[in-house]
Amino acid sequence: MSTATDSGYVNFFQAKKGLASWIFTLDHKRIGLLYFYSVLAFFLVGVLLGFLMRLELIAPGETIMKATQYNQVFTLHGVIMIFLFIIPVIPAIFGNFFLPIMIGTDDVAFPKLNLLSWWLYILGALFALSTLVVGEGPADTGWTFYAPYSVKTGTNVTLAVLAAFILGFSSILTGLNFIVTIHRLRFPGMKWFDMPLFMWGLYATSWIQLLATPVIGITLLMIIAERTFGIGLFDPAIGGDPILYQHLFWIYSHPAVYIMVLPAMGIVSEIIPTFTNRTIFGYKAIAISSLAIAFVGYFVWGHHMFTSGMSGPARIIFSLLTFLVAIPSAIKVFNWVATLYKGSIEIKPPLLYAMAFIFQFSIGGLTGLVNGALAANVHVHDTYFVVGHFHYVMFGGTGFAFFGAMHYWFPKIWGKMYNIKRANIAFAILFAGFNLLYFPMLIVGIMGMPRRYYDYLPEFTTMNVISTVGSWVLIIGLIMMLWNLINGYRKGKIAGNNPWGGVTLEWQTKSPPPLPNFLKKPELPEDGPYTFK
Amino acid sequence: MKAEEIQHITSFREHFGTWLALIILTVMTVTISVFGADLLSLTVVTALAIATTKAIVVGYYFMHLKYESRIYLLMVGVVMLLFIVFLVLTIFDYVFR
Amino acid sequence: MEQYVLPNSGHSSNPEASKLGMWLFLFTELLLFGGLFLVYMVYRALNPEAFLIASYELNITMGTINTVVLLTSSLTIAMSISALQKGKKGLALYLMLATIAFSLIFMVIKFFEWNAKIHHGLFPGMEHYQSLPHGESLFFFLYFFMTGLHALHVIIGAIFIGIVVVKVGTDEVTGDQGTLLENSGLYWHLVDIIWIYLFPLFYLIH
Repeated sequence: MSTATDSGYVNFFQAKKGLASWIFTLDHKRIGLLYFYSVLAFFLVGVLLGFLMRLELIAPGETIMKATQYNQVFTLHGVIMIFLFIIPVIPAIFGNFFLPIMIGTDDVAFPKLNLLSWWLYILGALFALSTLVVGEGPADTGWTFYAPYSVKTGTNVTLAVLAAFILGFSSILTGLNFIVTIHRLRFPGMKWFDMPLFMWGLYATSWIQLLATPVIGITLLMIIAERTFGIGLFDPAIGGDPILYQHLFWIYSHPAVYIMVLPAMGIVSEIIPTFTNRTIFGYKAIAISSLAIAFVGYFVWGHHMFTSGMSGPARIIFSLLTFLVAIPSAIKVFNWVATLYKGSIEIKPPLLYAMAFIFQFSIGGLTGLVNGALAANVHVHDTYFVVGHFHYVMFGGTGFAFFGAMHYWFPKIWGKMYNIKRANIAFAILFAGFNLLYFPMLIVGIMGMPRRYYDYLPEFTTMNVISTVGSWVLIIGLIMMLWNLINGYRKGKIAGNNPWGGVTLEWQTKSPPPLPNFLKKPELPEDGPYTFK
Repeated sequence: MKAEEIQHITSFREHFGTWLALIILTVMTVTISVFGADLLSLTVVTALAIATTKAIVVGYYFMHLKYESRIYLLMVGVVMLLFIVFLVLTIFDYVFR
Repeated sequence: MEQYVLPNSGHSSNPEASKLGMWLFLFTELLLFGGLFLVYMVYRALNPEAFLIASYELNITMGTINTVVLLTSSLTIAMSISALQKGKKGLALYLMLATIAFSLIFMVIKFFEWNAKIHHGLFPGMEHYQSLPHGESLFFFLYFFMTGLHALHVIIGAIFIGIVVVKVGTDEVTGDQGTLLENSGLYWHLVDIIWIYLFPLFYLIH
């Protein structure tokens, strides 16, 4: 498929041809797109699994699958969506593609490591998928691999754990690369507070990837050792402490939640100034709150364990620390809203997604406070309220930011424009479907429906039916959105270099960008990255 | 590159002094452990204190932190702080259980 | 159109970037061992007596010798960097080879220690190990896991330095372009620091 051919320069699609020029490329833009295609493929697999789960839950009792199959499906859904989709989605795709461009350089600091990181991602994905065909089938432990069950079950826990371990490496390499790139390769004259806010999101994320991921790596190795030798590390039957596993697991996995959401916040901070035509309100507050979220986020892992038998004082401390995270998160939300206030707003698809992010992230964040409050948590723990909360933050937040980023940068990456009207319609359906799917979960959770069961009491039926219907609406919206983008790629009009009137550096170069990113010297705005004339 | 980033060559003397300090600390920690059993629970604290001193000496002199820009010290400090808080928060659970 | 060249390229060699990258990598190593130190801390707090009894199985003399060997190897690699920067290529090569030799001595001593323990049936899964009280078997599991992981790092570090020896020999790494050597040194010092903590935590509980 030929992409927009602007005369006079060779874009990065045209620079080289052939499969090898893609899968062995050292160009950050191509690596970003490799990630794009692979992550999107796994996202669709995850969506399919989620669809099957919702179908099972349309009525009480066994509908389309048995209990064990349901356990395996939700485990695989979790592993794919967490490790293969939402952790890499924004940093590895848009971070890779735009980080070097937005700070005015031609690549990340270690292009070869970057390629290795993608290959590790593929290897880890193969391990995860191999559980489907090898031995006793995919793990049925949930994506958390909680001991002691993960130590005892006959399903393919070891393979799934190895997959997570390898994907962790991939994630570390990406983080390491971004930190060094931001430190060492900014365009001469670009100071830290001249960087676009997406960079701050990525920078904070990268530190979490770097410092939290090794802990899960070693923990997963201990699970394998426990399965092999029966040490009694985590299995209480032989003297181990299962809560220690939970500590180790959440020391990584709670910060990992911020790996998932911080880059999304960065995206929103890019989209909003562009479509309000004014500088972002509280630049420094947003930038520093990214680091603050990352930092405080390390110290709140215990709030996943309030009902697991942790000591009382520890629970109180963790609950208190959890509330601290709300402060920097709220700072961001207030700043985005303040930017919208009295801006000259153009309602375009990316802005719609950004606003949906703010709305849904706020619901996710506020329900998070309910979960974080020790007393309330005891009630809602392990109910659908938590599932609803999590999906509001992750899908309603990060997922929608990802869609927003796709619509925002689509003309830059492919040089063409999709149909704006259809994109708006697809957005409306997606938004309706999403809330229809997940809001009933919050209600049914408060009513007391526990999570992780393929069955439920008859009084929860209405809400579950609404939720399942919501999943169909969501999928229709998703298909429309992707179809519209694919159509835009095939037959869209030439977009031009700066269709939205953005001011960050990526809009100064051609669409699609040439191989070295800039054909002439990029101009840094004088008063910070969001100076609109 | 800026002028201040011109590399600093550490003298053999300084290396040797660092090494000597590390050996002395090792001898100290072994001696305390083998002959100073009456320190009881303090042995862990002294052993870890000496180990940390050794680690700082290695980091500061052998790993050149002394001559690097401040950002490296800051990073090392933050990473160590994080790790210590991990330990403290975890043990907090066990102490009160 | 004339070709514009960015002043800051990711494709050109950048010593400062490599050094920062190495440090970041060391942080991940630190946290990797950090998880194990955390497990050690918890189980030692829960089983103080058993850890004490189990630690008597370890040989302080061997441990001390290995500590001195590793500290000395840190000295030689640090000196080799200075030597290369001063232009004394031959001396630098000797010092690097000395570091590799020390790493071999460390591994040989380690091998005899492990061998003695395995001979006593203390490796996880062995008969005697299974009959131990739980606290003691945890001690030996952590001993083998942590020193094993550390030994793996010693091997990797020695290979890393071996590669740098070749590159110094062919003048790919020189006093002015010495980042690779410095990075191998940083890695080696980290391996040393890990051992500095492993030594008192396993051998010096007395």
